Amino acid sequence: MPGRFSYDNRSAAILVFPVLAVLLVVAAFPILYSFWVSLHDIVLTRPLRRPFVGLENYGRMLADPRFHTAVLRTTLYTVVTVSVTTVLAIGVALLLNENFRGNKLLNALLLLPWATPSIVNGLMWKWIYDPTYGLLNAVLVQLGLLESYRAWLGDPDLTLLLISNAAIWKQMPLAALLLIVTMKAIPEDLYRAAKVDGANVVQRFIHVTLPALRPGLMLVLVYETMISIRHFDLFLIMTQGGPGDASYTLSWLIYVETFRSLRFGTGAALSYLLAMLTFLLSWLFIRFLGERRG
Amino acid sequence: MARRLMLALFSALFVLYVAGPVLWLLSSSLQMESEITAVPPNWLPPHPGLHNFTAIFTAGDSAEYANRGIAGFLPSGAANLLPSLYNSLKVGLWVAALNLVFSLTAAYAIAVIDFKGRRATLYTVLATRVIPDIALVVPLFLVIRNLGLINSIGALVVTYLAITVPFTIFILISYFEGIPRDLYRACRIDGCGHWGALRHVYLPLSLPALVAALMFAFLTSWNEFLFALVLTQNVAAQTLPIIIAGFVMDFTTSFSFVNAAGVIAILPPVLLAILFQRYIVSGLTAGAVKG
Repeated sequence: MPGRFSYDNRSAAILVFPVLAVLLVVAAFPILYSFWVSLHDIVLTRPLRRPFVGLENYGRMLADPRFHTAVLRTTLYTVVTVSVTTVLAIGVALLLNENFRGNKLLNALLLLPWATPSIVNGLMWKWIYDPTYGLLNAVLVQLGLLESYRAWLGDPDLTLLLISNAAIWKQMPLAALLLIVTMKAIPEDLYRAAKVDGANVVQRFIHVTLPALRPGLMLVLVYETMISIRHFDLFLIMTQGGPGDASYTLSWLIYVETFRSLRFGTGAALSYLLAMLTFLLSWLFIRFLGERRG
Repeated sequence: MARRLMLALFSALFVLYVAGPVLWLLSSSLQMESEITAVPPNWLPPHPGLHNFTAIFTAGDSAEYANRGIAGFLPSGAANLLPSLYNSLKVGLWVAALNLVFSLTAAYAIAVIDFKGRRATLYTVLATRVIPDIALVVPLFLVIRNLGLINSIGALVVTYLAITVPFTIFILISYFEGIPRDLYRACRIDGCGHWGALRHVYLPLSLPALVAALMFAFLTSWNEFLFALVLTQNVAAQTLPIIIAGFVMDFTTSFSFVNAAGVIAILPPVLLAILFQRYIVSGLTAGAVKG
C-alpha cells in the first residue's frame, strides 16, 4: 500500500484540486447554503430582517394553490415530453441504424436541433405558432385542415402541448443517439436466429430489439425526465406561465417567487423540493427499469 | 424495393421534421417585414437580402438607422447585440479552455492513478451533475451577489465550468480507460512521472475526446440561458441569448429582426456541431453512458 503522502496520492491531489475547488464553490456550497436560506424568511426588499422560520417556507409552499397548479402542469409537461421524445427517438434510431445511401447526411442533420440554443428554439416555434403570420396556421389552412387562423399559444388547452412540442424537437436527437449506440451493440446473430425461427419485422423488433434496448431506454428516460422536470427557458420565452396559469410550471413558480417577488426563502424551499423530486424519480427509474441488468 | 421506398419516405419525413423549422427561420430572416407578414406566406424570400442583419448590427448608429427607413420596429436593445456576441464568444472560449485543462487533469487522476479518495472524488463529481440548475440558481445568485460579482464575465465562466466539467470528465475517463495500460507502464519505466505520462501518452492519444470536450463546453456556454439571465444585468456581461430573449419578449419588435437575431445565434453552434459531428457524437454517448 502506498503511504498517505506517496507520489501517487500527492500527484492525484494536485491534479484533482482545481475541479473540486470549482465544484465546491459553485455547486456544493450553494446547495448547502440554499438549505439554510430555505429555513429563513429572506425577502430581498427587506435585507436586514431575516428571521429563522424553520420549515415554515416549505409548509407555506405545499399549501399554496399555485404550487398545486405547478405540480400538475409540470407533471403533464414532463409525461408528454418524455414519452413522445422516447417514442420518436426509437423511430429515428431504427431509421438511422439502417444502412442506406444518405445515412451519413441524416446523421449530421440529427445534431441540428441538439445544437440549437434553447432561446432560438423558443423564438423559432413562437414564430411558427404566430396567430397571424405563423407557418402552422398557413399550412393547416392551405391543406384545408383548419377553417380559419388560430391563436395557438393563446389557447390554454394547447399551450403546454405546443411548448412540449418545441422541447421534443430539441431533445429527441440526444435520445436517438443514445439508442443508436445501444442498437449497434445488439449482436447480428440474434436477428439471424429470430429470422430462422420465422419471426417477422415486428416480432423481431418486439422480441429482439426492444429487450436489448432496455439499458439505453433507461438512460433516455432518466435523462429526459431530469431535463423536462426542471425546464425553464421555453416557458419564459414562449408564454411566461400563461395564458392564465396554463403553463405555470414548478420552474416558472421558482423564478417568479425568487426573482420577481424577491422572496428568496420560499424560492429556495421550492428549489429543494424540486431537487428532491428529481432525485426520487431517477432513483425509481433505475430501481424498476434497471434491476434485471444488475 | 419496398424497403427502399420505406427508407426514402421516412428519410424525407425526418429531414422535414429536423431541418424544416430551421429552414423556415432562415427563410424568414432573409425577407422584409412586408414579405414575412404576407398571407399566405412566402416560402422562399421573394427578394432575399441581408437587410435585417445590417439593420440590427448598425442599430447603435442611430443616425444611420433613422435614414434607412426600414418598415419595422427595432428595439433599443439591438445596440447591445454586437457587445453581447462578443461576450458570448469570450465566455465560451474561456470555458472551453479552462474546462479542458481542469477535466483533463482530473480525468487522468481518476482513470489512471489509484489514489486515496478516488471513489469519493468520482461520487462528488457525479453528485454535482444531478443537481438541477433551477435549484442551484437561487443560492448561486446570493453567493455571487455577496461576492460582488454579479454582472461579471468571470462569474459566468466559473458557473459554466461547474456545469460542464462533470460531463467532460466522464467523456475523458471513458476514453482514457480504452488506452492500453502497457503504454502507461512503459512510460513510467522510462522514468516519466504522472505529468509526463499525461503529456506523452494520454494527451496525444485522446485528441478525439479532447475535441468533443472542447465542443461540448463551448456549445453549452454559448447556449446557456438561465444562469446568464440571473447573473448578468447589462451589456458589460450579458450574453447573446439574453439580448435575444429581450427581443422576443418586447412585443413591439418586428419579427424580421427577431428571426435575424435568431439566425446569428444559431449559426456558430450548428456549424461547429456539423463540422465536428463525429467527435461530438462519440463524446456525447461516452459521457452519457459513463455518467
